[in-house]
Amino acid sequence: MMKNFIHSRSLVVMTILIAAMVCTPLVSSFPTGISGVKDSGCNCHGATTSDSVTPMIVGLPEVYNYSEVYELTVSFTGGPSTPGNINLGGFHLWASEGELSVVDATVQQYNPNEVGHTEVGNDQTSWTVVWTAPATDRNVEMILHTNSVNGNAGDGAGSSGDEWNKITKKINAPILVLESANPYVVLSTLIIISGILLIITITYIFYRTNPDSFNWESFEPWIADWLTTTDHKKIGTLYFLAGMFFLGIGGIMALMIRIQLSVPGNDFLTQDQYNQFFTLHGTTMIFLAAMPLINGFANWMVPLQIGAPDLALPRINAMSFWLQPVAALLIFTGVFSGTGADTGWTGYAPYIVSETAHVGTTMWVAGQIMLVASSTLTGVNFLTTIAVMRAPGMGWMQMPLFTWSILVANLMLFLSIPAFGVGLVQVYLDRVIGTAFYDAASGGDPLLWSHLFWYFGHPEVYVVIVPAFGVISEVIATSARRTVFGYRSMVYAMAGIGVVSFIVYGHHMFTSGMSPTLRFVTMLTTMLVAVPTGIKIFNWLKTMHKGSLIYRTHTLWALGFLITFTLGGISGMFFPSMAMDLHFHESYFVVAHFHYVLVGGTVFGFFSAIYYWFPKMTGRMLDERLGVLHFLTAFISYNGLFWPMHRLGIWGMARRHHTYFISTEEAMGSLPAEAAGWNMFISISAFLFFFSNFILIANMIKSVIRGQKAPADPWGGWSFEWMTSSPPPTPSFPLDDLPTLRDANEGHIANEPSAIVRWFQGLMVLDDNEEEAGH
Amino acid sequence: MSDHLLLGKFDLYWANFVGLIVLTAIEVAAVGLDLSESMTLFILVGIAIPKFIMIAAIFMHLWGDKDSKILTLTALFPAFFIVIMILFIGLTHPEASIGLPDWCRPGYYKL
Amino acid sequence: MSSDHHDGEHHPSAWGPHDWSHGAPHNSWSPIIMSIGIGIFLYTVASVYSWGNMVDSSSIPLVLIGLMIILFGLLIWWRQDASFDGIYEPKASGTPFQNIEIRKVAMWVFLMSEMMVFTSLFSTYMRYRFGIDSCQEVYESGSWIVNSQNVDTGEAVNCFLPASELIASSWFHIAPGAINTFALIISSFTIVQALRWAKKPIGSVDEEVRRKRVYRYLGSTWVLAVIFLTLKMVEWFVGFYIPEIGPIHEHDIMSLVDEGYTIHADHYHPHHGWDDIHLAELAALHPEDYEAYLSAVGPNYEPTNAVMLADIRVSSSTFFVTTGTHGAHVFIGIIGLTYMTWKAWTGGYTPQNAVSIEYFGLYWHFVDLIWVIVFPFFYLY
Repeated sequence: MMKNFIHSRSLVVMTILIAAMVCTPLVSSFPTGISGVKDSGCNCHGATTSDSVTPMIVGLPEVYNYSEVYELTVSFTGGPSTPGNINLGGFHLWASEGELSVVDATVQQYNPNEVGHTEVGNDQTSWTVVWTAPATDRNVEMILHTNSVNGNAGDGAGSSGDEWNKITKKINAPILVLESANPYVVLSTLIIISGILLIITITYIFYRTNPDSFNWESFEPWIADWLTTTDHKKIGTLYFLAGMFFLGIGGIMALMIRIQLSVPGNDFLTQDQYNQFFTLHGTTMIFLAAMPLINGFANWMVPLQIGAPDLALPRINAMSFWLQPVAALLIFTGVFSGTGADTGWTGYAPYIVSETAHVGTTMWVAGQIMLVASSTLTGVNFLTTIAVMRAPGMGWMQMPLFTWSILVANLMLFLSIPAFGVGLVQVYLDRVIGTAFYDAASGGDPLLWSHLFWYFGHPEVYVVIVPAFGVISEVIATSARRTVFGYRSMVYAMAGIGVVSFIVYGHHMFTSGMSPTLRFVTMLTTMLVAVPTGIKIFNWLKTMHKGSLIYRTHTLWALGFLITFTLGGISGMFFPSMAMDLHFHESYFVVAHFHYVLVGGTVFGFFSAIYYWFPKMTGRMLDERLGVLHFLTAFISYNGLFWPMHRLGIWGMARRHHTYFISTEEAMGSLPAEAAGWNMFISISAFLFFFSNFILIANMIKSVIRGQKAPADPWGGWSFEWMTSSPPPTPSFPLDDLPTLRDANEGHIANEPSAIVRWFQGLMVLDDNEEEAGH
Repeated sequence: MSDHLLLGKFDLYWANFVGLIVLTAIEVAAVGLDLSESMTLFILVGIAIPKFIMIAAIFMHLWGDKDSKILTLTALFPAFFIVIMILFIGLTHPEASIGLPDWCRPGYYKL
Repeated sequence: MSSDHHDGEHHPSAWGPHDWSHGAPHNSWSPIIMSIGIGIFLYTVASVYSWGNMVDSSSIPLVLIGLMIILFGLLIWWRQDASFDGIYEPKASGTPFQNIEIRKVAMWVFLMSEMMVFTSLFSTYMRYRFGIDSCQEVYESGSWIVNSQNVDTGEAVNCFLPASELIASSWFHIAPGAINTFALIISSFTIVQALRWAKKPIGSVDEEVRRKRVYRYLGSTWVLAVIFLTLKMVEWFVGFYIPEIGPIHEHDIMSLVDEGYTIHADHYHPHHGWDDIHLAELAALHPEDYEAYLSAVGPNYEPTNAVMLADIRVSSSTFFVTTGTHGAHVFIGIIGLTYMTWKAWTGGYTPQNAVSIEYFGLYWHFVDLIWVIVFPFFYLY
């Protein structure tokens, strides 16, 4: 009885929550419409249209000829307009293509494609305008509004009693042209389809878990359990699903950007749409795809690797996950009505606090604030867990490298993200209650935002790459069937990257006019980053050297990572040099560099992690043949996608520009003719790369349904996670029977503690059990 | 932490509390005295630091408890990052690009 | 993906009171509900206000709905926590925190992040305070500045006016801030007293006495925190009245907002005893600007000799947002104290779970610490 009551109550709450989530973006959708008057209608002479007014356009052809000039007569009949009124009427004409122009003083021009009557022209019912047809193949749409005026404005009655109406005319191109779709519709359709596919997959997985009880009574507690869970493994899975979903969404946006850039002068996306797409692409990929994927694996593996029953604060952990989907909703708010954030993922001031930036920017900022809160809570949780919940006997230098990488990444994230949070709150307040932190007219300093953003932003890019280092260390050591070479130097290298990351951020601002001293300091420190990174790469190579490497799919991805990440690292070495940075700044060379480290580094690293840990997470093996196919197709198309961008960047193709032109004129950027071919090649590779990843999705679904059962330790790994069953029980390790040290790096266990470590140990609270503390 | 921490014959929390009240009173009074700006700043910083330490050490148990040492180190951990932020963000001059020293401007070396 | 979690023994309900005698994960509705509430709140606030203007008052109920949803989630959280009795309190196993309670370590780690938050705010403040000319210097430089423009050169003028110029100008202006400082220090003291009484070993003190002491100390902490925020509102928005007592004249102490020190003050008129420039001089040299000046200061302006109307929005923004962030921390503390006082009133604190008071106390002392820095640098200097 009680149980039923509780279940029906959770059902009601769930319905309300889902309704709230669906309604939030609709609550007061920003009312500007997509492009002003043509959709919202004319409201200056009454709120609704009136059938008694009949607008007309005379002189329009059914099919236009290229660049021909047509003289159009715009008129209307009906309504209260009668000869003898002071005013008779007015009109507004908008054409989707071609140009409208004015022939006499009764008509004025607002835009090349938008005209209306003048003060002089409001005492007639017919006007003449000229339309020049486009020179290319377009289907043209014209929208005409006319007012019929009763002329009582002179009596002080304003526009009362006036009536208006609108018509739409279509003119076809000389040859048949397929209507190009509205990019927003394309994006929203794809997102909705992805969401539906996700729901179907989840339902199907639920069906497969127990086909006999496929009904609401058993589904409701099942789904409620997922929504309320605080178990680190389930939250890890939720993170993983969210990350994969948004990786797809970000990929779709990247494809639309690539469609736009595939040929010079393309107009698939307008400049305005392009701005929103690259903003959301960056934000989605960094904050909604990469970070949840990392958190997914961290949630799953860190407690297992250190032998802890769960994270230190399980409910806080659930909180940090659930902030993310809500934040994602806020970030995407506005994009479907064309008012999404258009600031770039960096959101530079003063544009972000100017009224020119779309209203959706406020929501983007609000969503980011929630992500900051989420990351802070995650940071508290992981730092505490790793510091205090290691299994008895596991010292710092016996921790698996993946756990080390998560520790370093969370430390960086945790200490840097408050700067971003404070900057975001300042921007939110500027935009909402009107403070003046970044208002240059009041003395606000836009550079302050850059400082606060990059103080966080640079550690953040290491936050997404360092966990991939950890994965690669695990995978290469396991595949080479030996311990990782130079474990200690690996740890110190990661810690070094973590500390140095805070004093390099100035290299993002070399062109901003920052203090020259700071520029010099950050130039040197940025070059310094190559040292610990190089140590890691050589250690990985040395681990494989004379090991006996087994080529599993995860090994292939790790080897691919080594190649692409090294290339990305080398191209990165151009930027710390101020002189070169000034030239490469805002070019495709930068785009190529960070996609080589973020896709070739983070994403490849986490593909490797998926193949490595999927059997542990689900208890099913993945198909190796599909895995190899995925690696080959993705690796080749990936390089085809990003390698040519280096060349485009050196030619001078600018990033964040919605199109480019082939020209020999200096002023136009003078891209050589080959640039068009390379761009088309990049776009085709982008599609291949995107679709090759469906092999992975298919592989995972196939494996969950009918994969081979996985043993506890399929690869011969020796850290703690391979000691539990696949999938592990809950709690992951029994509280009264925690595992004791199983060293991932037995080579070091006999080492004497160094002087610093001994000093540090002197500070510790000694356990009552002396021999344990002496370990 | 034992039940009653004593400072001489006074209860430690009481002693700390009274000390904080007195220091705050001095702080407010110093501003009322209308001293020069740098003197005021000096007094304010000079009083804020001991107050800070008193609260952290005694009320937050960073002194005298069995776990005090390691928790003090934890609390001091962000110090490096705080210094970096203050140096790089708080104390860089917003008008650096137009306020460059002469030796940093074109033409100074007559090249 | 097995579904063996509803054994009913360790997971009574995701709604509330939990069995805290073991370490298995407990399901909870609180996180998802609170997240949605926070999302709705941030969304609707930005719908109501935009660029400092109220643009859509019809969304105000939605803001309240957002807050109600957050509160609802919080109540679930507390309902689950209320049964915590301290029997199962995991301790750290590895170095360097061996034998320290996990939650205590977590609280200190959280405070690290809070330090960075306030460092960011202070960096903002320092950058602006040292980077923008101070209003007094601009004023005493002898240029006439009307409507944020230099009359002679036509350049836009903005300057930094620290709130302390107003606050430290008289004892009565300092009073709310000074009382607040004392209130926070006393509250820091009352909360350690609550901890001390909750910690006394069983048997050494009568349980009823313990219950009363703990909830009275926590309650007085709550009262002091409320006094803090009330005085802050008085100082910002309300102002107060001083009756005639002995040598003190009867007069009103204006709030900062009434003084014109607001985030929208792009024509601020300072009048606190700087070296004056004579109005008559301006009237003789620039009659039009003199007219503009008079019309800008308004009809009720009582002429002093000051001539300056400058943009001080950056200085007021840093002041209100930094002290406001501190105030928000006090407010969060009040919310936590409400729950703890209630729990203490029901006799929920025993020596076993008294550490919960200590962990909250760490946060509370930290808020006090921040005030120790904010007070001199924003109110006095």
